[in-house]
Amino acid sequence: MPPSFSLNTTTSILLTLLITGCGAPTDQQNQIDYNVNALKVSGGTLINAMTGEPSGLISMIAGESASSAISSNIFNSLLKYDKNLELEGDLTESWQISTDQKTITFKLKHNLKWADNQPLTSADVLFTWQAVTDEKNASPYASDFLLVKKAETPDPQTFRVTYAQAYAPALDSWAGLQILPKHLLEGKDLHTTAFARKPVGSNYYKLDNWKHGEHLMLSRNANSVLGSAQIDSLVTRIIPDNSAQFLELMADNIDLMGLDPIKYSRIIPARPELLKKLALYKELGNSYTYMGFNLKHKPFDDVRVRRAINYAIDKQEIIDGVYLGLGINIASPYKPGTRWSNPALQPYPYDPAKARALLKEAGFTDSNGDGILERDGKPFSFEIITNQNKEREKSAVLIQRRLKEVGIDVRIRAIEWASFISRFIKTGDFDVVVLGWGLGLDPDQYNIWHSSQQAPGQFNFIGYNNPKIDALLEQGRLELNPDKRMVIYHKFAEILLEDSPIIYLSAGYGLTAIHKRVKGIDNPAPPAGIGHNSQDWYIPQALRRNEISTQ
Amino acid sequence: MQTSLIKKALSNPLSLAGFIIIMFVFVLSMLAPVVAPYDPNYIDVKAILLQPSMQHWMGTDGLGRDVLSRMLFGGRISLLVGLVAVGISTAIGILLGALAGFYRGWVDTFIMRIVDVMLSIPSFFLILAVIAFLTPSIINIMIVIGLTSWMGVTRLVRAEFLSLSEREFVMASRTLGAKNARLIFTHLLPNSLTPIIVSSVLGVAGAVLMESGLSFLGLGVQAPQASWGNILTDGKEYIQFAWWLSLFPGLAILITVLGYNLLGEGLRDALDPRSGSNR
Amino acid sequence: MIKYLVKRVLWLIPMLIGISLISFFIMHLAPGDITNNEAAFNPKASEESRQRLREMYHLDKPVIVQYGLWLKRMATLDFGNSFASHQKPVFWQTVDAEGNVTEGMIQQALPITLMINVIGLVITLALAIPLGIIAARKYQGWQDRSITLFNFIGFSIPSFWLSLLLMYWLGVVHNWFPISGLHSLNYDSMDTWHKIKDSFNHLWLPVIIPSITGLAGITLFVKNGMLDVLQQDYITTARAKGLGERKVVYTHALRNALLPLITIVGLSIPGLIGGSVIAETIFAIPGMGKLFYDAVLMRDFPVVMGILTIGSALTLIGNLLADVAYAWADPRVRRGVAKT
Repeated sequence: MPPSFSLNTTTSILLTLLITGCGAPTDQQNQIDYNVNALKVSGGTLINAMTGEPSGLISMIAGESASSAISSNIFNSLLKYDKNLELEGDLTESWQISTDQKTITFKLKHNLKWADNQPLTSADVLFTWQAVTDEKNASPYASDFLLVKKAETPDPQTFRVTYAQAYAPALDSWAGLQILPKHLLEGKDLHTTAFARKPVGSNYYKLDNWKHGEHLMLSRNANSVLGSAQIDSLVTRIIPDNSAQFLELMADNIDLMGLDPIKYSRIIPARPELLKKLALYKELGNSYTYMGFNLKHKPFDDVRVRRAINYAIDKQEIIDGVYLGLGINIASPYKPGTRWSNPALQPYPYDPAKARALLKEAGFTDSNGDGILERDGKPFSFEIITNQNKEREKSAVLIQRRLKEVGIDVRIRAIEWASFISRFIKTGDFDVVVLGWGLGLDPDQYNIWHSSQQAPGQFNFIGYNNPKIDALLEQGRLELNPDKRMVIYHKFAEILLEDSPIIYLSAGYGLTAIHKRVKGIDNPAPPAGIGHNSQDWYIPQALRRNEISTQ
Repeated sequence: MQTSLIKKALSNPLSLAGFIIIMFVFVLSMLAPVVAPYDPNYIDVKAILLQPSMQHWMGTDGLGRDVLSRMLFGGRISLLVGLVAVGISTAIGILLGALAGFYRGWVDTFIMRIVDVMLSIPSFFLILAVIAFLTPSIINIMIVIGLTSWMGVTRLVRAEFLSLSEREFVMASRTLGAKNARLIFTHLLPNSLTPIIVSSVLGVAGAVLMESGLSFLGLGVQAPQASWGNILTDGKEYIQFAWWLSLFPGLAILITVLGYNLLGEGLRDALDPRSGSNR
Repeated sequence: MIKYLVKRVLWLIPMLIGISLISFFIMHLAPGDITNNEAAFNPKASEESRQRLREMYHLDKPVIVQYGLWLKRMATLDFGNSFASHQKPVFWQTVDAEGNVTEGMIQQALPITLMINVIGLVITLALAIPLGIIAARKYQGWQDRSITLFNFIGFSIPSFWLSLLLMYWLGVVHNWFPISGLHSLNYDSMDTWHKIKDSFNHLWLPVIIPSITGLAGITLFVKNGMLDVLQQDYITTARAKGLGERKVVYTHALRNALLPLITIVGLSIPGLIGGSVIAETIFAIPGMGKLFYDAVLMRDFPVVMGILTIGSALTLIGNLLADVAYAWADPRVRRGVAKT
């Protein structure tokens, strides 16, 4: 049967539509050469898109990435990370850690002001700490701050916190907490306050206009505590469907979009008309994809089985086939190249022979000759579940094939996220998951690996329980000296690799296309990623969109 | 009567085309294991996103799987969803319609009010909510589509029963003391069969389309199992570039659904050219 | 007539109870305790919202009591607040002590969906009526066949695929229409004329796609209605009297053929609201469909239940209006001769 079986009139009309559709977009902007080096002048509009609308802009309440992506342009924290991922002051000028390592004193910068001209003082910081730890606000970020035994404001410039015992991730946690204005929020219910939709902050931008379900517009904040950003306004459009977003990018209606590996390395590079106006960026994210075992289910409680499966999976194949080479084979749960990542560790090589040997050792043999191993008469068969993420689905399919080769029967199910969490993860009703972890910058991974974190809804849902790991995690939290901490977390990663409760599949790159009209972006990306200096990005006058006709 | 009806329907070129399409698609799907050139799940990471060629008539997808083979196997799933869903809705429809039309009175009123209630709830909302809450799977999808689309059949069967009951041969059997069951199964049901068939044929079209819509929303047949809906959804991201990923499943759905619709409408037309369409 | 009206309105009560039962049942379909079903991956927040949930739905009481209490709240149009962290009212706005208005979620979404669907319906009717008449007059001719084929192609094409093709072709390649969204970014600074033009531009694609898919049903209905009427005695009489064919078709036949259309329009309301999920997702329109879909995925039960109940109630009202209009337009019903 030839593929042209369906060529009747209707389809040929559609074909024509499609083929004519494959030509270059005929927008007038195509003539502009976006590669010019133009003068850095402030002004212009950067249009971004998101698939989901933030539920509010108080990110400690909303607790979702859509919210913090926007609120981080509006609010400051006490500390922030510079381009090399070292901590520096954001609202603070300096900070001091006491000799017993339990007390941190932050000195705020002088003359800080909120966008409404009110002074920003340590009272605001104290208020924010009270808010995040207030039980009634139920902030997802509370746990770090609940460890603070005492918070005080000796003067308007000084904020001091005392922990019951030294807490190494403390500084990182303060870098993540956005400081809120006390004078506008005191006594309000943070969930329902109108402030969440009309925020007043201190950072480079302020919210101008939020059209429900359509877009959020930020413009420069004249009182910005850190000086002035180059671009006048940031617009974030809400476009739920990814394909529609990509169409908007092609039509020049948005300037920035996250890409999947296929768009990044196959589609855009093959299209001269897109390359002419889009610049591609990749940055190694602080995240990885893994295959995790439910350690409470047999036979995954047996380390030989876990190792065997680790040997049986060809990680490089997944990186090449699914991530099109845009991934790194890792051996510890940290971003490669950072000090926390143990360079001495090597990932499990692809070695099916070793896998078979280990499985045999664990008691699995193919007794009935059907190609599937059995133990005690039961075939070795399990289900991999994953959420609807194309890369994860594809990885699971590749894993399925490799495991079949060593005699393990694997079924795959991709489940929509909410069901996935509520039906399978929270109830522990799964065998194996393929998922990803997005991590903070602090090496502490207590929430993920400590045996105390196994209640429904907590992060150690695979049920990992290893006293040695528990001890290291506790130790790591108490140690503030980076070099000593490094030794602890290198050891932690080593044991984890040996024990193989999860199989690292790949540390993936974040891939972004940004319109070439936007200049001043660091390429290649520094450790902190391209976004670290977004306030210095600029759009030369000549390359700006005709703002009247902006769609 | 039935053969003459089919003859009459197939004299209409559109219905004939519909019939041919349905048979063609059906046979191809059934023969999928024989005619598919590759294993639909065979991955070749060195051959991803290949354009249609002599080796791969419909190209390959993001994992280097052969799109033609996936289309053939996906067609089985899509048709299965359509046929089983319609089977369920027809069974419910016949049962409730027969009860309402045969017993009349409060039974009739009660059943018809349920029909009205079901008709007034936006059925796509109902389907979305139920599938999401029960987690999407082929079986859930078939059941839920079936459970939310029986109302039309119920009305049809009821109307047929009501009008048939007035006919002499039924009245005669009744006075001769025929049992209810006998009456229903030998006289009433066989004579209402044609409109039921028509509505089932149209129902398959709706269910296949529904599955593709659910796939678009991430609640259809779940990967890696192929269905036309999820192949199309996978391809929509690259609609302008890897066009073969969306064109073939899109056309397959279009043509198949069109086929069922044309045949169904032709049959309806042949049955009674003046009956209104109630979609 | 009045008696008929009263009867129809009274029927609404058992219907509404039926709808509420189904909505309530659906919420309890979610496995286990509904409080266990939040999408959030956060133990603390979910404990707090669980408590809210338990209070709201009286989960400690027997199911039948839960239903009763819930029904009581529905009756006063109290649909509660969303489970999302913003806790917005589900249905209608609230005003806090300082006069800040928080708009209800359905209040924001419903007008958008209604507007798009009403425009879509008008366009569909404007196309379907002439097409149906042509098809009836040229019954079984090539015009009839091509209209049927064209309509069914529109009906059979997966709408999201058609949407994307048109978005690409008309929005990217030709740049004739905006691709997604409801307004341009600078909408607020436009004068009235440009505002209208801008809205029109943005609505074009989202409106035309449901019209294309909905055309088949209504065209067929008009066609069959016309065929039916054209065979009836009074038309034959009119023809026999020597009236022109044009006059026969457009004055006598059309009026009677279009009457049942009123009912069909009423019946198509739930389909229009339900079908909006896909269109609103793809075109980035914050209407009822998108709201419902998000709520389902987030297990935001108050919103799910609110939309199911209000969507169905709207349909009932739509059907009622259609029936009343039909009764008013059809003298036989007006006189109480015909079926209920």
